[in-house]
Amino acid sequence: MKGLILGVWRWVDERTQISRVVRATLTEYMVPANLNFWYTMGSLLIACFVIQIVTGILLLIYYVPETSKAFESVKFITSAVPFGWLIRRLHAMTANLFVLVLFLHMLSTLYMGSYKKPREIQWMTGVILFGLVLTEALSGYLLPWSQLSYWATTVATNAIGSIPKIGDMLVVWVRGTPKVSQFTLGRFFAMHVSLIPFTILMFIAIHLLFMRLTGISAPPGTDKSKVAKVPFFPHMVSEDLTSLFIFLAALTLLVFFFPQFAFPPDALEPANPLQTPAHIKPEWYFLANYQALKLVPNEFLGILLQLVVGVILFFLPFLDRSPERRPLKRPVFTTLVTLGLLAYIALAVWGHYS
Amino acid sequence: MTTRRGFLQRLVGVFAGLTGLSFLGPVVAYLAPKKEKGGRKILLDPNGSPVKADILNKEPSVVGFGINGEPTIVIKYEGELRAFSAVCTHLGCLVKWKPAKAEFFCPCHAGRFDANGVNIAGPPPEPLPRYRVYVTGDNLLGLEEGKA
Ligand code: HEM
Ligand code: FES
Repeated sequence: MKGLILGVWRWVDERTQISRVVRATLTEYMVPANLNFWYTMGSLLIACFVIQIVTGILLLIYYVPETSKAFESVKFITSAVPFGWLIRRLHAMTANLFVLVLFLHMLSTLYMGSYKKPREIQWMTGVILFGLVLTEALSGYLLPWSQLSYWATTVATNAIGSIPKIGDMLVVWVRGTPKVSQFTLGRFFAMHVSLIPFTILMFIAIHLLFMRLTGISAPPGTDKSKVAKVPFFPHMVSEDLTSLFIFLAALTLLVFFFPQFAFPPDALEPANPLQTPAHIKPEWYFLANYQALKLVPNEFLGILLQLVVGVILFFLPFLDRSPERRPLKRPVFTTLVTLGLLAYIALAVWGHYS
Repeated sequence: MTTRRGFLQRLVGVFAGLTGLSFLGPVVAYLAPKKEKGGRKILLDPNGSPVKADILNKEPSVVGFGINGEPTIVIKYEGELRAFSAVCTHLGCLVKWKPAKAEFFCPCHAGRFDANGVNIAGPPPEPLPRYRVYVTGDNLLGLEEGKA
């Protein structure tokens, strides 16, 4: 029996080269031994994506993308389908943690200067992935067709309307009708369950491909050619698993004990296009943008400002070309990032309490 | 001088481009926005049935769907009916009528409008569009485009 299994395996391996691929990508793939905790954020992001795909497909089995049925179908998932509540809470909560880990991943590469030559493409695909995940979260937010869904989407899509001349037309194109309606739900549904996930998958592939091509960076201040190397498996994999289980513990805690974090009261009411709830607020990761829009007197200026920040981030590797990566040896940049981060948090907190 | 190979490459490029373009047209048309059913000139409730005018004897204001499905607010102010688009000119939340202050209030970013629909505080950049409103023979709320 053992001989037979071994024989079949040899036959398969000879034709597919699986063991060679495993060696090249896991056991003989050498990485610097001094990689720190922040280097595990990438694997957490892949875990988030996998969780969203799996729970998303499960939700799709019962979800109905039609305005008179969507809210009921989601209610059915949470109250009648066995463990439906768990699947939905996991999907909604992981969406939040996904964005949080993305923030951490981006900040760590900013502080460690990992966006610098030769890793420009990794940084730029990363910025695109950030935008894609935010768009994915925004489009998913409409699907349950709750008061929160309806009005958050109304306000978010209306912001586009402040672009001079073509703004109003763009809003109608995004919504498919002048007001948020069935046509909006249809568009957002198609984007949420197919267009954006496939695009994300493609950019993850490019992101990882270029990581392999340039090799992973060593932490700033260490010389990659001199530091000791360890094989990716088991060393880095066990580091990744440590972070993964901390992440899963946090996710479980939130899902079981703080579900209201993902579902405020307005998420429990079906959408009513004739009544805007008081204190409609976007998700926490859009609070800073929301507050910035309120503060800048000209709305288009507010949007332009945010766009400029995005463009600067995207082209950062070409704006900051010095090879120095240690945070303390480039005080101006480190100060700017820290001030930016503090401003972002301050705006978000302000937005929350205003 | 184009070589034979250069010519063929360009030819393939042109045909690929034209093929792509011929697909693009239908896709753009497919995605084009749909117009909302227009032409209704009386205020409707969320179920699509007409709102009775005498509700304004009990309530200071009523919100419904008006011309072109626009959320529309009708108030009774100093004995007179007034109708405005209820859609805040800032980011599109619906305004509420506060009779004690004689103001429209937008809950989203605290925009305020006076009883003539003129923006008086907060972020809204423009007044609320106003409609002519009258009570029809069968006690419904009729709306007309244009100033009251
Ligand atoms: C890739 C990252 C993804 C993010 C960040 C994300 C985010 C979200 C969010 C925030 C919601 C609203 C949650 C709620 O209030 O219930 C949602 C709903 C939904 N998502 Fe996703 N999603 C992702 C991927 C997917 C995928 C790949 C699918 C399916 C193939 C999917 C299917 C659904 C469905 C059917 C709903 C509506 C049911 C519900 O609201 O619980 N999602 N998503
Ligand atoms: S939407 Fe009314 S004040 Fe912003």
